Parts: sequence; structure tokens; C-alpha cells
Amino acid sequence: MRDALRRSSSRHSGKFTATVLAFTLLSLSLPSLLAIGSARANETPLDPAAVEFFETRIRPVLAEHCYSCHSAAAGSPKGDFRLDSAEHFRRGGPAGPVIEPGNPADSTLISALKYESYEMPPSGKLPDNVIADFEQWVAMGAPDPRTEPAANAGTATVDPRNLWSLQKPVKVSAPAVSDRAWPRTVIDSFILARLEAANLKPSAPADPTTLLRRLHYDLTGLPPTAAELEQFAAHASDAEYEQAVDRLLASPQFGERWGRYWLDVARYADTKGYVFQEDRNYPTAYKYRDWVIAAFNGDMPFDKFVVNQIAADQTGDPSASAASGFLTLGRRFLNAQQEINDDRIDLMTRGLMGLTVACARCHDHKYDAIPTADYYSLYGILASCTETPREDGPAMLADSPTPATQHVFLRGSAGSPGPEVTRHFLTCLSEGEPQPFQTGSGRLELAQAIAHRDNPLTARVWVNRVWGKLLGRGIVTTPSDFGVRGEPPTHPELLDWLAVAFMDEQWSTKRLIRRIVLSNVYRQSSAPRDDCHEADPTNALLAHMNRRRLDLEALRDSLLLAAGRLDMTMGGPSVQLTTAPFANRRAVYGFIERQNLPAFFRTFDFANPNTPAAARPQTASPHQALFMLNSPFAMEQSRVLAERSAAQPENSPPLADHDRISHLYQQALGRKPSIEELTDAATFVASGAEADQTARVAAQPRWQFGWGAYDPLSDRVEFNEFPHFADGIWKGGEAIPDAQLGWALLNIQGGHPGDAAHAVIRRFTVPAAGTLHIEGELQHPAAEGNGVVARAVSTARGRVGEWPVAHGASPTTVEGIPVSAGEVIDLIVDSVGGDHTSDTFLWKTTLRLTRDNGAVESWNTLDGIDGPRPATSPPLDRWSQLAQVLLMCNEFAFVD
Amino acid sequence: MPHNPRPEHLALTRRELLHRCGMGFGALGLSSLLAPELSANAAEISNPLLPKVAHFPAKAKHVIHLFMNGGPSHIDTFDPKPLLNKYAGKALPTENLRTERPTGAALPSPFKFKKYGQSGIEVSELFAKTAESIDDIAVIRSTYADVPNHEPSLMLMNCGDARQIRPSLGSWVCYGLGSQNQNLPAFVAMCPSGYPIQETQNWQSGFLPGAYEGAYLDTQHTAIERLIENIRNDAIPIPRQREQLDLLAKLNLRHQQARHDDAALESRIQSFELGFRMQTEAAEAFDVSREPQHIRDMYGPGTQARQILIARRLVERGVRFVQVWHGEGQPWDSHDDLEVIHRKLANECDQAIGALLVDLKQRGLLDETLVIWGGEFGRTPSVELPKEGANAGKINGRDHNHYGFTTWLAGGGVKGGQVHGATDDFGFKAVEDRVHIHDLHATILHLLGFDHERLTYRHAGRDFRLTDVHGQVVKSLIA
Repeated sequence: MRDALRRSSSRHSGKFTATVLAFTLLSLSLPSLLAIGSARANETPLDPAAVEFFETRIRPVLAEHCYSCHSAAAGSPKGDFRLDSAEHFRRGGPAGPVIEPGNPADSTLISALKYESYEMPPSGKLPDNVIADFEQWVAMGAPDPRTEPAANAGTATVDPRNLWSLQKPVKVSAPAVSDRAWPRTVIDSFILARLEAANLKPSAPADPTTLLRRLHYDLTGLPPTAAELEQFAAHASDAEYEQAVDRLLASPQFGERWGRYWLDVARYADTKGYVFQEDRNYPTAYKYRDWVIAAFNGDMPFDKFVVNQIAADQTGDPSASAASGFLTLGRRFLNAQQEINDDRIDLMTRGLMGLTVACARCHDHKYDAIPTADYYSLYGILASCTETPREDGPAMLADSPTPATQHVFLRGSAGSPGPEVTRHFLTCLSEGEPQPFQTGSGRLELAQAIAHRDNPLTARVWVNRVWGKLLGRGIVTTPSDFGVRGEPPTHPELLDWLAVAFMDEQWSTKRLIRRIVLSNVYRQSSAPRDDCHEADPTNALLAHMNRRRLDLEALRDSLLLAAGRLDMTMGGPSVQLTTAPFANRRAVYGFIERQNLPAFFRTFDFANPNTPAAARPQTASPHQALFMLNSPFAMEQSRVLAERSAAQPENSPPLADHDRISHLYQQALGRKPSIEELTDAATFVASGAEADQTARVAAQPRWQFGWGAYDPLSDRVEFNEFPHFADGIWKGGEAIPDAQLGWALLNIQGGHPGDAAHAVIRRFTVPAAGTLHIEGELQHPAAEGNGVVARAVSTARGRVGEWPVAHGASPTTVEGIPVSAGEVIDLIVDSVGGDHTSDTFLWKTTLRLTRDNGAVESWNTLDGIDGPRPATSPPLDRWSQLAQVLLMCNEFAFVD
Repeated sequence: MPHNPRPEHLALTRRELLHRCGMGFGALGLSSLLAPELSANAAEISNPLLPKVAHFPAKAKHVIHLFMNGGPSHIDTFDPKPLLNKYAGKALPTENLRTERPTGAALPSPFKFKKYGQSGIEVSELFAKTAESIDDIAVIRSTYADVPNHEPSLMLMNCGDARQIRPSLGSWVCYGLGSQNQNLPAFVAMCPSGYPIQETQNWQSGFLPGAYEGAYLDTQHTAIERLIENIRNDAIPIPRQREQLDLLAKLNLRHQQARHDDAALESRIQSFELGFRMQTEAAEAFDVSREPQHIRDMYGPGTQARQILIARRLVERGVRFVQVWHGEGQPWDSHDDLEVIHRKLANECDQAIGALLVDLKQRGLLDETLVIWGGEFGRTPSVELPKEGANAGKINGRDHNHYGFTTWLAGGGVKGGQVHGATDDFGFKAVEDRVHIHDLHATILHLLGFDHERLTYRHAGRDFRLTDVHGQVVKSLIA
């Protein structure tokens, strides 16, 4: 076996085989580990604790600090000495063994780690506790489970270069199936063959309206209108369906939907991430977004689409210049070039080919056939480019006049250059030795290699992404990882068939989508089936369609559409989605702030704009519900939808309730209500009209900040809210003194009154009936001026306290007074006799409310000072509340 | 070996789970918690914050991280260096280590130190109130980071990596444990008046699902609707909203019955009930006016006191991770006027931190709440030299110091009343029992019941973890 292993240790495979072996060993259960141990000739089984010690304390350190020089992967191991196998470790270097099992004091390894003989690793002494671990390990007899017997135990060694995804896809003919009537397309035969093997039957077709709604959402991200649904239901036929497919593929909304999917992969955003001082915006990022949308609408062949995005400067197509944003619109990492390049390598390899090349930044890929040299080869291409800013679009990469000389960075550290690397394509995708690129940086050649027909990954990865979007589950469920650690395809032959057909048809995404949505698989009902649940709990075999929840864009667009106000304008600068006044554009045009992505995006599972997204998470969180229940945006759409449902031609009588309910249903859900639903809705509208005074009072702000005057004759206060708030200060305007309100201001600790007509007032609204105590202290610290006078005035009882203070302090106490809910207590500070010089005051006050039920609450003026409240919404009437219910329901939010 | 957190319902009976979550049966259809990576499977729509069990039993269930952003001086707070007095105004006998800016002569601490508690650990007058609980505190005087700059050090302290996009500690903890209270955010980050530098990246979820990201609250505000988005509806009174939800339930029930009671549909139905309850519960949780006066007096006045009191109210209600930032930007960054500024800042929070420790203890919550105190680094024992545009030419401040500084832990299974590690004679560099931030993270995760090497998440082909390939649990910190 050892010989067999040696024989397989050709230039590439040796190290990979070793790591795969190691992985296999790691993933074995304890009993099988023991079994492996006992299978060794002439050796006693290793103690599982010893194995664990090695795996947790020793091996990671070796991998991290030693293998880069002392392993097969290092090419020619330094000092002719390897640590990456137990045998080599035991054998030692030219000077003999470096460990004396059981005797750390006599082991060169230990003295080298301690920097007492050699100084290893040279990059810096390891922490004492790590060295202590090594001493302990040697003292234990240096148990090392890294041996060949893993193979003896019957574990197949997988050479990652033989991985399915690295073999060229082959189009095999459709498999034979028993139910020959069911398949409509080749796709169906592949799916049915596996279902039949599992003794499952496909589901019945979805009903016409469900199917049309599904198709509309999938192709355009928008629902059909009630009229379209009705029309289709009345004339449902294959021909009608095909026409709908072609019409939707040709609609401009197609590019907006599918372009957005691509932007997830491209980790698109309108900003750079964290910056020091510079402008954080990419002001022309949208040009890339618009280029992507146009490319999908124009069905740009996908291979060309890819090449344009990597080497737009060299394709001779000036209209593609905005495509350069693919690479250049990533996070800027405070302009740390190493991170920027890493992001771009990850984008090109994981995003386009499903290969996790970025894992090879610090060491050879642990599982896939990706040596560190390949990573730095791609790095060298990017390092041989300069970034040219452009007025009219995102920055563009251009080849530097002289390509850079690139070294491997040992352990990912630019400070530790290793061997020089050429600029070439990935080894695992090359025939034999990868050949250095010839022209300039090699970027165009790289783009062409990625988009080449011989590349087994690019078409497969894209086809799988498209399939996943349409069916709700990829054939490979790790859409950005087609490596050893990714999931194998559920239907490998189908994936290959689709990939080859896709390439045969000029890499046309529209044809690919058309092919899929015309299949019977796609047209199935989504109803879960009891008989499938046991046999196929994740519906991997697609015995029925997957039900899906609307994503952020589809949801927001649909809300606007239901309200009749979705603005279908295409392209142009990004718009703010989350601040009022709310943009009515499609969400694909929303501004994406990479650094502080507003909660709305995260709440609705938006793709992380920092990394090429594999898939969006699908969560059902209470924050989503709160958005639908309470957000100004959702309420605005509900209100407008309700108004729209009442709209009638001029001079016609107002709608009867039932008719209006019916309108609402059609506009929100594309269908008429059932009798029961009609009754429920009518009852809802008719009831609950009474006012809710208590709730309103409780929802009011406790504190308001303003100016005005106390009138001793009427014992009343005139109150106006301050117009300006900044840096914790309420005042008359930006500047102090303000032309109108003079020096009048309030802050957390106190403030300053204006002239006689401009006393300052902290207004408190009592939330519930009870007894209120006020305690506090008023200070007038200045030695100058004539002091201030403070008063507490209640709307119900007039003045309840008055405290003049000059150059000193006074307690401000009001013993318990009965108060009612909604009553207002004004804390007013006035100048004295019109002299407001040196009138700065400090007034800390606690208001303590003992509710009638005995509960005690207190508010302290030092708690904080709130700025202006967001504009409050006017009450939502019953019709709007009903409209909101329809917009919140599951029927609205899910696609069957 | 990759390991994903296990839904707690596997360890609980169905009845217990329902009781704990206050939810209907539909919430049990939550298979995706078992899925290793975001799969593209639409059937798996769930609430990612349901409670989960850790790798092993542990005391700590919640974390309050008091983040003194800007970098508080260890030499002036928890790491006395009397020898600096001997060299006051003179060069240190050892060479000044290279930090962000040039520094000069020794700058002794202007603050008085005193021994506290049974343990007799010395603490400066700045944290006199906090020091009264010193016997519950493990003072780590040998923490160290990698570079003397705010941005990378904040990222390292919060996310375990100085530059790349990685989930924050709080996100990892919520990913691992879920939340005990479905009516409140699981991870709350409070900072009055605006963001610290690096902004929301400090509590980012990185490649973990967005549900694990910290919910930021600007605690200069007191009104609930200014703290949590969409938490209140001033256009529809609560009883009317309840009627809306009742009608919604009818609609959804009919829809669901026609669809074989799909679990994804049920999850969304439950999310509305959760959201509805959250309105009342959140408003109550953030309303410190409901605290008795003696408790409010104990924490003292001001914004720091209020947000630290809110932190206690949140963990009391089952919130998993609360991060309390001192303020916008980098308040503790005393390049000049250190004496005045440090005194002012400590004065703002010391009483409340002391009160928090006492209050948690008297409620029996300290055992299950891990309190972390510290900044992104400490400060130099040598005075910062004048530099244009930096310190206004005053020679009375300290530069950043990542070579050695103090962090402390209390509660949550920490062995209190101890000093761990030491800096050199002057406080420049950690020299004894050094604790790198990765080690600190490993220890914190351990206190919460996780083997930091096994709390992983598969992303981009790798099983990522908070400590990357580093981290050693500091066993002696654990009771």
C-alpha cells in the first residue's frame, strides 16, 4: 500500500492525497479509529485520547507553522526534512530523528521550538503553551495517527482532481422511464427516472392561476394582474403558457429580476465599506447594475457576459466598459490591496466556478486540488493591473505596462515571500502543467479560460444557479462550492445535460430558463405529499414543486404594485428604499450601503454585499412581521391600496362594501374573495370604529421640548415645540442666539430661557391616572445676572410649584398631586423681570407616578433628551387596516 | 470536525420547548437549524433564534460586554505601575515600544490606587465603585492584540479578524445558543449619539444569517420608537391591531389548510404573533422608568447609567448578548488631557458598572451572566509627544498600546478575585501568562459552553470559527 501511495505521488497529487487521507481519518468515528489502529502491523493501537491530543494540539500547529517549509507541498522541503507524515516525522532530517519519543529534553524538535538550538519557526517563537503541548506530546511517546493504514481499512482515497465537477460535462441521452406519458421534456425524464427508482410519482400539474403567478414571479419578480389571471384561467393551454413564457422573457422586467440575482453573486453595493475620510460612495456603481440588467434583457451569451466583466478593457466593446464594475465595486478594506485582491479572486473563482480558491491563500487548499501557487498566480494577474477611475462609470482595470513579479506569500503574509509564481490558470482545470499566460497581465486569458467551453465548471455553476432559482433548490445545494466539501449533485446527468445544452445554444440564459419552465417538473403542484415526506423529506427528488417565500425585492415591489404605485422606470442612479419619502421604484434600483446596511435589508434576508452570495437565507422572523405591521412604508401602501379600492368612475355612486372588498382582494391577491371571506371582511370593517384614547396616550412621547409663556391670570401655559435639534440641544435655529427665539434652549441638564415671551418648557405627558410626585433641584450657577424662576404647571390644576433661584440652588418639590391620563405637566423656566443675561440653569427633576393600581414608575430629566420624533402617521382607517391584512397574509407572501 | 449548534428542542421535551418559546406547534417544523449551510431549499424557512444547546453544560447564559471604545488606559485603572513615578518625566530604562505615534518620557498615573476586597487587588480611584465587587472580577492584565490602530483592533476584539469580514462574537453566540426570548432582539448593541468607529461592522453577522447581527440602539434616545424600528404603530391602536391579526389568522388558516399545513407557512404565522407580543415586551424592557427608585439611584444619573440598567433588564428577560458602548467615535482615546478625560468618562460609568455587578448578584443573575469590560487596547506608560493635528501640542496623554492591556471578566462561571498575567514593570507589554484576543475569545466561548474549535459555520468552502486557527482557553480564569 505504501508503494501504491508513493506511485500516486506525482507532482500534484501527493499532497492532496495526503490531506484527503487526513480528512478521512478525522471524520471517522472513534470505533473506526480504533479499528484502524489495530489494523496496523507490529503496532499497538493508539490511545484515542492521544489521537485527540495530536489532532487538536499538534497537527493544527504543524499545518499552520511548519508545513509551508517542511512538507511535500513545499516543493523541496527545507533541510530535506518533512513533518507532514508520521513516517517522515519519525525519520527526521539528514542529521537523523528530531524526536526522541518519551524524552522531550533530548528532542531537537523541542529545543528548536524553544529557540535553543535551531529557531523554529523562523517567523517567531510559538507561544509557551504551544511549546508545552509539544513537550507533553513527545513525553507521551509522540503518538502520530497519520499513517497509511487508513487506506488499509478500506477507505477509498479520493484524488480531488478526479472530482466529478472537474470532469467535462457529457450529454447523455434521457434515461428510460416506466411512465412514458409523463415526461414533456428531457428534463422530466431525468427527474422521473430518479423518482421511479425511489418508488415515487410526480405530482399533478399546478392549477393554471397558480402556475401563471409562479411563472410571473420567477421571470419578472412581479405578480400577474387579476385580469391576466382570469384570462389565462379561462383559456389555459400549452400554447397560451408558452406564449406567456415568451412574453415574460421578452419583457424588460425579466432583466431586472435576473440581473438582481446576478448582483447577489457580484456582491454589488453602492458604497466602499468602511472608510476614513474619503467619500464612501461609488457614485457611478449603478452603471454596472444597469449594464447587468441590459445584458440579461439582451440575452448576452453568458460566456461573453463573463469575459466582459473581467476584461472589459480588452474586448473591444466600448458599451461593455461598465461591466468592469464586477471586479472594482467590492469592499475597499481601507484600500488594503491584499484584501481587495483576495475579494476579487474569491469573486472570480467561487462566484463563477464554484471553487473556493480563496481557501488557498495561506496554505494549499485542505480538500480541493488548489495549491497556494494557484492562488498567487491569480493574485499576480490582479497585481499586474492598475485601476483607472472613470468619470462615467465604475473604475476599470487596465494592464500595467510591466507585469508584476509575484511570489507566494507564505501563510498569507506579504512579509514572507515564498517561491515565485507565473501567471497561469488553475492547475486543476489545466491539461498537465498550466502554461503561463502570454499577454500583459493575463487577465483576458484568464477571463477566456473561465468562460471556455472546456472549463467543466462555469456552465455547470451557472446552470445550477438558474435551476435553484426556478425550482427552489439547486441540483447542487451548495451553489458556490462545487469542490470536495460541496454537496454532490442530486441529478448529475441532468446537470451535465443542461450545461452542455446551454453551451450548445450559445450560452443563452433565456433559452435555458425557457427550457426549464416548460418542463412538467416546473409545472407541478407545490402541495406537500405525505408519501414523499418520509422517503424524501427535503424534496430533493422534486416529486412536487417547492413553495417559496417572496424575497425582499419581490415583496417590496408587490406591495407597491398592489397599491397601484410601482414606478416601472428603468435604470439610473440608485434610490433610497428605507427613508421617507419612499421611492416607488423597483427594489433592484435601491441604494445599497455596504457598511451600514439598513435593518430592512437584513430583516428580509438580503444577500450579504460583502461576499459572492451562494444563496439567500430564508428566515421567518418577528422583525419581518413588525415591518409589515408597523412600518411607515407598509402602512402607506395599505392606505393607498384602500383608497384605490374605493376608486370609481366619476358620477357613479359610492361602492357598496362588498364590491369594495372584492376590489381589494383582486388588487392585493389577484382573485375575488369567497363568501366566507367577504363576510369576515365586512364584519371587520363595520366593527371597531370607536376611539382608543388610552392607547393613544400611552403611545404619546413622554417629553416634548419647547418655548412659550406662562400666563398668571389664566394660570395656563402657551407651548410651542422648538424647531431645531442638534447635538443634544433643542433651540430656535442652527445659530444661537436665534433671530426669533434668542438664547432660548434646552439640553439634558437644563438650558437657558429667552426673553420674557420665550420661556423654555420641558413638557411631560402623564401616561396613566395616579398620583404624581416631583422632586428635583434647580441651580443658577452664574454669579452675574438676576437669576431665573421655574414653575411646574399642570393642565388640570394650573401652577403647582414656583421656585425663583439666583446664584444658587433650590429644591423643586411637588408633593403628590392626583393626575389623569393624558394630563400635561409643564416645567417652565423664565427669566426674571425681562433680564435674561447669565440665565443658564441646571434643573434635574424626577417625576414619580404611582398608578391607581399601585405600580410606580419614574422619569428623570437626566435620562436623555430625544430629538424630533419621526412624523407620526395619521390614524389608519378600518379599510386601510383591512388592506394591510391582505398585504400581510401568507397568500400574498408565498409563491405556490 | 464541523459541528453545528443543535436545536435545543432535541434536548427538551416538546412541552418544555413550547412552554419556553411561548409558541404554537408549527414552530417545530424547523429543520433548517440542522442544515450545515444555507441551502437553496425553500422548504426550510424558520426562526433562526430558537434556543439551542451548547457543546457542554456551562454557567454563562448571557453576556454583557461593556466596551470602553477608544482604549482605556490600563495603567490608570486596573494595572498600577508605581515604578513609573521613579522615572517621571525621564526616559524609561527600556526602549519605548513602537506604537501609533511617538512617545517620550515616563508618565506616572495621576490617579490613586487602593486595595479592594478580600483579594486585595489594586484598582484606581477611577473605578472605585466597580472595585467594590473586585472579588467577583478576574482582572486580565496581560491581554494583547496585534496592532496599535483602532480599526483593526476593534475588528479583532469584536470579530476575531483585523481586516476581513467575519461575524462578531455576539453573532457567534446567538448562532450557537439562539435566544431565550423571542420577543426581543437576541443581540443588542447600544451606543449613545451615534456609532463607534468601524460602525455597524463591530456587531456584524458577517457570513452568518442576518438574524444574528446586533440590533443597534441609539441610547441617547429614551422613546421606544426611537430605539427599535417598527416597534410601535401610532396609526393603529393595539386592540385594533389585535383584530387585524385575528382576521389575518383566519385568512392564513384557510390558506394553510388547503396546503397540507406546510411548516413554512406556520412559521410565518407564528412570526406575526411574536412580533405583536414584542411590541409590548420590548417597550417594557427598555423602559427604565419601571425600575424602583432605589435601583435607579444605585445606577445613578445619566445616559451610561440608563443603558447599563437597560442591559440588566435585557439579560433578565433572556436577551443573549448585550454590548454597551461608551459613546460615538472613540471617547476613551485620550491622546491628551488624559487625567481630565479619563476622570470624566469613568465618572460617567463607574457607579453604574458597580451597580450592575451588585444588582446582577443580588438577583442571582451574576452566575449566568458573563460581564466583559475593556477596550480595543490600552495605552502607553510613556507620554505621547506633540504631533501636528493630533494632540494639540499638549504633553499630557498616552498613545495606543496593543502590547499589553487590561480586560476583565466577571460572573458567568469566572473565578473572581484574581489577577491573571502581568505587564512589564511599566505596563508596556504583557509578559506573564499572556492572553491574546483569540485566547480571550476561546475562553469566553468556553464559559458559554462551546469548544471554540467546534463552533463552526460552513462558508465559502471552509468551516469558519471565531478563533480561526488560533485560541487557547485560559483555564485558570474559570471557576
